[in-house]
Amino acid sequence: MSGRDVVIGIAAALLLLTIMVVVLSGGTACTPSTEIRRLAEFYLKHCINLYNKTWWTSSPAAVTSMLWDYRGIDTYYETSVFFLAIIGGVALFRVVEVKLGAGGREEKKELGLSLIVKTSTRIVFLLILIVAVSVALHGHVNPGGGFQAGSVLAVGPLLFMAAFSRRFLEDRLKLDRAKCVALLTIGLILIVLVIASPLVVGGALMQNQPKYWLPKSPWGYLTHVGPLELSGTLFFLDVAEFLVVSFGFTLLFIIVSIPEKEFRRLLGL
Amino acid sequence: MILAISMMAFALTLAALFSYLAIKSKDLVKATVFSAGQSAAFALAFFLLMAPDIVLAYVAVAVGIYTVVLLYIISKTERYEGDEQ
Repeated sequence: MSGRDVVIGIAAALLLLTIMVVVLSGGTACTPSTEIRRLAEFYLKHCINLYNKTWWTSSPAAVTSMLWDYRGIDTYYETSVFFLAIIGGVALFRVVEVKLGAGGREEKKELGLSLIVKTSTRIVFLLILIVAVSVALHGHVNPGGGFQAGSVLAVGPLLFMAAFSRRFLEDRLKLDRAKCVALLTIGLILIVLVIASPLVVGGALMQNQPKYWLPKSPWGYLTHVGPLELSGTLFFLDVAEFLVVSFGFTLLFIIVSIPEKEFRRLLGL
Repeated sequence: MILAISMMAFALTLAALFSYLAIKSKDLVKATVFSAGQSAAFALAFFLLMAPDIVLAYVAVAVGIYTVVLLYIISKTERYEGDEQ
């Protein structure tokens, strides 16, 4: 690194620092506003208001309430777009067989990185799994939720593919493309079922808690089961989204890791 | 408030340094690692801005998935950037 580089680096850092100080000290009028806007105030006041349940979602996590209740249809469309994008990717690669061809047991041992990397990958995978599941199951009480948990879990198979091999994922963990597509679809179907179920008893689409201005209003999902917080639909929707996102990403990684040689062979190039 | 501002200054300066190093580096694997460091600094900044939901998604995507996918792509091509390679 030459002296010129150091000067450029320090200058850039100083420039950023100056901009930040200006912004934080109020040089740009209202950027770091300390006041809560009226819209945000509404959500903060109502998402778990035990005294006035007209607009509540029974969840202390305001972000999750917005994602899956107040603005639920939006998140549903996002999930559908994600789903369709992945199905489109799968359709592009449909010519490749679901399972890769030959490969004996002796070949399996040679694949992948060193023993240290493999062992630490196993340990890290366990931690990833625990964090992902806990983020998914606590999405309605803590920060986090389906998408976050899904993207955390998706790192696991990716690490396995890098440290071991793709065949390890398919043979040992039994996680192949067909299974991923199945779990992904189950997730989306679960979301649709949870969203549509209030219609059966005369509620509104995506209704979570009772809405008293509706004609057949007093109907809502359970907010608690004993000491466990469920927050109505939010818990189920988070878990379903977790399935969609984690197995969607895993499916993409499996597709991306198809060896070029295999692909050329199948296309006859 | 002072502590938050100084932590923010630290995080963003670190991010700026990391992105500079990532751009300058001729070794693409090193550049990817620097980019992951920049993402980690951004994650700290998001946390200080009180956006824990963003932090959870950002760490997983930017430090985990993005880095590993980039490394995978690099393994398909050359590791060093330059004319003589």
